[in-house]
Amino acid sequence: MFHNLAPSWSQGSEAMPELFHRKLERSAIGFVLAIIAVASVGGIVEIAPLFTIDETVEEAPDMRVYTPLELAGRNIYIREGCYACHSQMVRTLRDEVERYGPYSLAVESKYDHPMLWGSKRTGPDLARVGGKYSDFGMSRILSPREVVPESNMPAYRWLARNSLKIEDLPLHLEAQRAIGVPYSEEMIENATRDAYGQASPGSDSASNVKERYGAETQVRAFDGVATNVTEMDALVAYLQVLGRLTDAAFEDTAAPEEPPEPIE
Amino acid sequence: MDVDHDTLVAFAKSWGLFYLIALSLGVLIYTFWPSNRKKFERAKKSIVEQDDKPWR
Amino acid sequence: MVSTLTTNERLFALIISALVSICGLALAAVGRQDLLAAQGFIIMVFGLACVFAVAQGFYEPEPSKERLSSYYDDPIKVGIALAMAWAVFAMFIGVWIATLLAYPELTFDQGWASFGRLRPVHTTGVIFGFGGNALIATSFHVVQRTSRARMPDQLSPWFVLAGYNLFCLLAITGYLMGITQSKEYAEAEWYADIWLVIVWVTYFILYIRTIARRKEPHIYVANWYFMAFILVVAILHIVNNLAIPVSLGHAKSYTVWSGVQDAMVQWWYGHNAVAFFLTAGFLGMLYYYLPVRAQRPIFSYRLSILSFWGITFFYMWAGSHHLHYTALPQWVQTLGMTFSVMLLVPSWASAGNALLTLNGAWHRVRDDATLRFIMVAVVFYGLTTFEGSFLAIRPVNSLSHYTDWTVGHVHAGALGWVALIIFGSFYTLVPSLWKREHMYSALLVEVHFWLALVGTLVYVFAMWNSGIVQGLMWRTYTEEGTLAYSFVDSLVAMYPYYIARAFGGLLFLLGAIVGSYNIWMTIRATPLTSRREIDVPQSGAVVVPGE
Repeated sequence: MFHNLAPSWSQGSEAMPELFHRKLERSAIGFVLAIIAVASVGGIVEIAPLFTIDETVEEAPDMRVYTPLELAGRNIYIREGCYACHSQMVRTLRDEVERYGPYSLAVESKYDHPMLWGSKRTGPDLARVGGKYSDFGMSRILSPREVVPESNMPAYRWLARNSLKIEDLPLHLEAQRAIGVPYSEEMIENATRDAYGQASPGSDSASNVKERYGAETQVRAFDGVATNVTEMDALVAYLQVLGRLTDAAFEDTAAPEEPPEPIE
Repeated sequence: MDVDHDTLVAFAKSWGLFYLIALSLGVLIYTFWPSNRKKFERAKKSIVEQDDKPWR
Repeated sequence: MVSTLTTNERLFALIISALVSICGLALAAVGRQDLLAAQGFIIMVFGLACVFAVAQGFYEPEPSKERLSSYYDDPIKVGIALAMAWAVFAMFIGVWIATLLAYPELTFDQGWASFGRLRPVHTTGVIFGFGGNALIATSFHVVQRTSRARMPDQLSPWFVLAGYNLFCLLAITGYLMGITQSKEYAEAEWYADIWLVIVWVTYFILYIRTIARRKEPHIYVANWYFMAFILVVAILHIVNNLAIPVSLGHAKSYTVWSGVQDAMVQWWYGHNAVAFFLTAGFLGMLYYYLPVRAQRPIFSYRLSILSFWGITFFYMWAGSHHLHYTALPQWVQTLGMTFSVMLLVPSWASAGNALLTLNGAWHRVRDDATLRFIMVAVVFYGLTTFEGSFLAIRPVNSLSHYTDWTVGHVHAGALGWVALIIFGSFYTLVPSLWKREHMYSALLVEVHFWLALVGTLVYVFAMWNSGIVQGLMWRTYTEEGTLAYSFVDSLVAMYPYYIARAFGGLLFLLGAIVGSYNIWMTIRATPLTSRREIDVPQSGAVVVPGE
């Protein structure tokens, strides 16, 4: 195919590309640098501008950080691999907005290390699940076939049995602060107490949580049992706050896109 | 440093395009440079030769 | 194995293994309040096992100088065996979790047995365990043959192989315990990630050193692909896994990236892992084993160069097509879509180049199941890259994203392209490496081929159907303008496809088991080839060890 074209002009000089490429090739290092240069451009062009994306992202002055209990719940969500079957990203499509709620905004996940947008919906999207069901409903859903007989979700009964590890939560908050999440010194110091308090209404620690994280913060025995802070408490607390860290998405008025006509 | 989002985006887009063109030219020149042909021909043939030992 | 190492290398091997086990012990000690202790314990046991293995052969006689005039193939052999073991293990997990989707009560109320924890075991097991070991093994083979140079030393290939498998082991045992970063295809936590960097740098240096020993001025194109694979995977791995551990005693870490930035970095990684792990490396395999098996040089060498740079350049831009209609800025989505479509050009150039190489040898494709493995792999490569570009188009993606269509697409690539090219390469490589006349049973290769092909087709068709049905149900409206189906309706419609998918996967798994048995019996029971002379030095030249 190609080598048939060459002979007519193959008498040309060897100078330029020889100098350039022979060297490049002889030392594999040159070749290595070429690969790096060629391959890294795409990533740089697309990622670099995102470092300044804060300038363009919607304002959300009411945005709050996760409470220690919610953060612990988020870590359980990650641990159990919930993201493998549930997305947390309502796309800007009409049917999604009608099914799940307002489409997701960039600002909503700005404190998410890592983001949990997901890539697959074996189960429904969860970006707007916060407040959609009662705590009891939520924890029952974690034994899914008692509520939805057709469900193929595993039953997460062990979450209600396991006590939540809360002693090391200050370290977690500190690590989060190191990468830019605005936890205050006070929040870090009291992380363990706050986690306990949020799941133990009526306890001394309970009111402090609202003080530190805002009056909207839900303080309840999320798993229905006030005596013990379980992993179920944390996970339900997290699920209940999904989509509720800011109201920005609910105020956004831009209309979602119509999905393209389905091919019949 | 005073680089705002729009500057960065504009730079990323234009520079990316320029880079794409320059790179394609470079690769095309290298690939079709006549004197490289012999080398390629040899590399292409050499691997099917039956010779299962190092050269030295 | 140890007997092929020089005394110096044995000493170093002993020291490194001891260091590894000490590191493991240290991790176990500082992480005693955490799951990290278990991981540290695994590292320690692994290190001690290596210490024991090396110590056992420590006083064996030094290898003769003769070895320097032949290739160093022992690590390749072990790599092939490990790849097949990972294949059977991880494909079994795949079939199991496919079954879980239809029969969720099989979780037995055990955290480690739930879908969410087993899924990364499957993906890591097949991609990194099976694919990675196959890449390491074949790259060691290809780089030596095409450079006509022996690897510069005997220790570093073992370090790469063992170290890499330690990484896989840590990753997978971690997921079962619930240790995960949740970044898809990069779930392993910080200590395993750091370890992989060390292993990978050694791999890179080893590769470069071997290439530097070549006599030819030109580097054969297969090596370009392997080098792009090694290099770019290193860049991707480091950038995507930048994270702050909660403390040195915690397995848990938090990625430095957040929200939309993290999404872009993650899918820049995710898509380029497909590009440079699951494509570039395997194209390297293709450009060597296809010509060798077909006994015909590649159709157009120039085309292979053009497609190399095309793939290296274009792929990097395509990741954002995973984020269509999300909170990612739209221009980045559009850019991703454009480059994904353009990517079809170099991809089909590679596929066309491979098929045209076979032109004129179709009778061999008909008779030789091994060559057929490679040919069908190329066809799937062509189909999957077309499908990939198609799915990256925004309106198409609005239907396909979040559905099983994506899963079907991935498996068309992973089963049809990656796994088949590995099997084709292994069936080419195993007899020559162990110096056998042929594989133990040509019939079993044939059986494996058909199991793999039918399994892939059943799987992919099931997922196409379920994905499209699912996507359409989610967006169907009634006359009154309300959504016609609840989510549960769409889930109920999936069950038959989930069962079909598990069946397709089972066929593929059976094929892998047949293949492993065949390779095992080739090593154990097939007569040695009579053409021994091609493998001994002709000149008898003595070479100075190392460089």
